[in-house]
Amino acid sequence: MALGDCWKQLSWFYYQYLLVTALYMLEPWERTVFNSLLISVAGMAIYTGYVFMPQHIMAILHYFEVVQ
Amino acid sequence: AYLYPIRCCYVFLARLLHSVVSFFSLMEQKSSPQSGVHPRQNKQESFEQPPMYVAVMTYVGYGLVTLFGYFRDFLRAVGLEKCHVAQEREEQKDFTPLYQDFENFYTRNLYMRVRDNWNRPICSLPGPVFDLMERVSDDYNWTFRFTGKSIPNVINMGSYNYLGFAENNADFLKSVADRLQRYGAAVCSTRQETGNLSLHEELEQLVAEFLGVESSMTFGMGFATNSMNIPALVGKGCLIISDELNHTSLILGARLSGATIRVFKHNNMCSLEKMLKEAVCSGQPRTRRPWRKILIMVEGIYSMEGSVVRLPEIIALKEKYKAYLYLDEAHSIGAVGPTGRGVTELFNVNPGDVDVMMGTFTKSFGAAGGYIAGKKELVDYLRSQSHSAVYASAMSPAITEQIIRAIKCITGKDGSTEGIRRIRQLAENTRYFRARLKEMGFIIYGGDESPVVPLLLYMPAKVVAFAREMLARKIGVVVVGFPATPITEARARFCVSAAHTRDMLNQVLHHLNEVGDNLCLKFSRRKHPSRPDPCEETNS
Repeated sequence: MALGDCWKQLSWFYYQYLLVTALYMLEPWERTVFNSLLISVAGMAIYTGYVFMPQHIMAILHYFEVVQ
Repeated sequence: AYLYPIRCCYVFLARLLHSVVSFFSLMEQKSSPQSGVHPRQNKQESFEQPPMYVAVMTYVGYGLVTLFGYFRDFLRAVGLEKCHVAQEREEQKDFTPLYQDFENFYTRNLYMRVRDNWNRPICSLPGPVFDLMERVSDDYNWTFRFTGKSIPNVINMGSYNYLGFAENNADFLKSVADRLQRYGAAVCSTRQETGNLSLHEELEQLVAEFLGVESSMTFGMGFATNSMNIPALVGKGCLIISDELNHTSLILGARLSGATIRVFKHNNMCSLEKMLKEAVCSGQPRTRRPWRKILIMVEGIYSMEGSVVRLPEIIALKEKYKAYLYLDEAHSIGAVGPTGRGVTELFNVNPGDVDVMMGTFTKSFGAAGGYIAGKKELVDYLRSQSHSAVYASAMSPAITEQIIRAIKCITGKDGSTEGIRRIRQLAENTRYFRARLKEMGFIIYGGDESPVVPLLLYMPAKVVAFAREMLARKIGVVVVGFPATPITEARARFCVSAAHTRDMLNQVLHHLNEVGDNLCLKFSRRKHPSRPDPCEETNS
């Protein structure tokens, strides 16, 4: 029951995303291309953040002489 | 062949620059200053701006589809995809390209994807409800096929049927059928040769009486009335000052005439006055001679904005600077004013003050054709000098009789009160529809009396989704995008009719409410008071 509502809500959000970015006008394979590009770029950004964030935070703290 | 990407880049950058400039101008709140002249217009016509994210996402959406358009063009050029549109032949590939400009790019890559929302075939009378033919496409709108079924009883919110004269009631159409029987379907000649029927004289007499002017002349086509008569009235050495949002027929007529054209901001009296002052002071561009004639061209109701012209102020300016006024009442004749006589009646202005009154019979009279009315000398001059009179075939007898019976109905000459009932019904429907839409939170343009109601949708995908959803709910709407409107202001245009009953309007409003929620179209940030209790509403 709750899963059905959740699914409905998610598909409404996906519909809004399609409308706002004008993907609604494109053919399904074009939507796949754009979505995969978007997800890959977002994924790469998150991965980079995950890998480099500890080093960056240590560098900042080192600069402000909070930790040696 | 190597010039193609350079040309594409140039076009794209030029468009981008233009859209960036208009993006920044979108940030100011546009609203026309209040007119203190006429007490009836106490609500100012406002053109509300949407929130910033709407403008940004509109550009993002267009940008994305444009990028995919370039990608698809590349696939077609390389040969990975079949090209469905016209292409140059192999031998002509090195000539100047025919299909590389922005118009063709836009048509190929944006319009074709979604063109099932336009040119829908209708298979019944375009009354308050009509039937549409069902058509499907198997290859993303490149070709259509009819399934053979029709979609019955779709509520018609798009036809120019303001007074409901698009009807096929046999009683009302009896005189039209008689004339058709007696005179046949066509006149087979021009007005100046053997095409001048006594019917035409009767119609012109009626139109002149209806408008309150000395004389009028009718033509077979409304567009041709403008484009063929303006060249007869003005020529080289004259100045035409026309509104920014004038219809194509006026622009075409102005260009054909050879006069100098200057454009003033839409309905903006300061801009018009500045232009008039400058024209009178400086005269013609190089020789500094005074202009032979200055003609101000405006429309009664602008069909894309729904805004009403500021007639009293324009007449005051015209008297002061000794210019002539050309008023195109295509949408306002029959649709505004207490007895349907157009904007002159709405503002209580003497019709003799307007030098050239033009209008069409397509909208409120349920026929086809146009008229020009004014002083007798003007109309007599047009009878001999107009291109339409000399070369275009005259109005068909059945259509002439339809207009005659429509005018007799509106003025009450046929003895019934049907005409005045329809005018009042239209005014009431317009007020109700506009008030309810504003209350729901949509952005609507235009003045409160105009039966043309543009509802702003902005984003291209929402325009398409809106049209499809409304059709699924059996309501036929007209959506308009670029190039008929500015690229960021796509809209749905509703034409309220006297033939719509309150039930039909309520049904449309109910569905609009739902679709507005599903598609998130309620952009208005103004607080509107909710409707007063219907029992307390006073009749006006």
